[in-house]
Amino acid sequence: MILLLAGLFVLGVYTVVYAFDLFDYRVGSLPISDLSRGLKDFVAGVEDGSLSVITVTILVLLAAIGLLWFIVELRPTAPRRVRMGSGTYVTRDVVEGEISTATEQVPDVLGSSVGVKARRSPGARVDLEARVRRGEDLGSIKSGVQSTVEGYLSEKGLPVSKLNIRLVEADPRQTKTRVQ
Amino acid sequence: MADGIQLARAASEAALATEGVNSLGRGRYVEAATYEGSEKVSGVVVGPEELEIHIVARYPLPRPIPQIAESIRERIAPEAGGRTTTVVVDDLEVAEDESL
Repeated sequence: MILLLAGLFVLGVYTVVYAFDLFDYRVGSLPISDLSRGLKDFVAGVEDGSLSVITVTILVLLAAIGLLWFIVELRPTAPRRVRMGSGTYVTRDVVEGEISTATEQVPDVLGSSVGVKARRSPGARVDLEARVRRGEDLGSIKSGVQSTVEGYLSEKGLPVSKLNIRLVEADPRQTKTRVQ
Repeated sequence: MADGIQLARAASEAALATEGVNSLGRGRYVEAATYEGSEKVSGVVVGPEELEIHIVARYPLPRPIPQIAESIRERIAPEAGGRTTTVVVDDLEVAEDESL
């Protein structure tokens, strides 16, 4: 960004110098006659419909990229805070902390990492990764984690619209907790 | 009906007097505050149509967060002058164990 601004500043200085013929620099001395001739030929080619296939492809691609960019710009940005109900919001950090606390209450969970995404509608989308010992019954742990987290959050009044739980078998020596 | 800094002050007092509120928040991305002259009230943003109150909730929570928010809203409603009141929970603060 700084480089871009520096480049624009230098370009602006050159433009002023050439525009006012300062320090013996003149626009006429610039090799832009070839450029303007090239542009004229290109526009004439567009008008005649005699552009090469590659040129037409590049123009179509540029138009498509511009259209996509426009659509992306029109999309509203994702909210930063989790909506709880009418006029009440909670930061994602708070939701993350609470989910992490709830998850680590489950005896088989050795550690967890939580990702929370706020949505326009009430509730957050939660991606929860819980680390467990190898060889455990993943199905029962997963349902245990789900019921514990949901119960804990509803007690606190924190809404979750989607809870994705992923269990990862991990070495207890590399997790936050070795024994629960 | 209060206006500007007076409303901010009233909202701040109402929020701090509510059970479950530890302190006022400061906002996460931009500072949440109301200014007038040399005075500043942190944690409350007064707009023409909206009143935003940032809180740090006390942990463990004495009741669910929506109920805490509703209590704050009820307390400030007479002063808010029809503004939409938004309560934002910026953080949770673990309360000191008073029995120790």
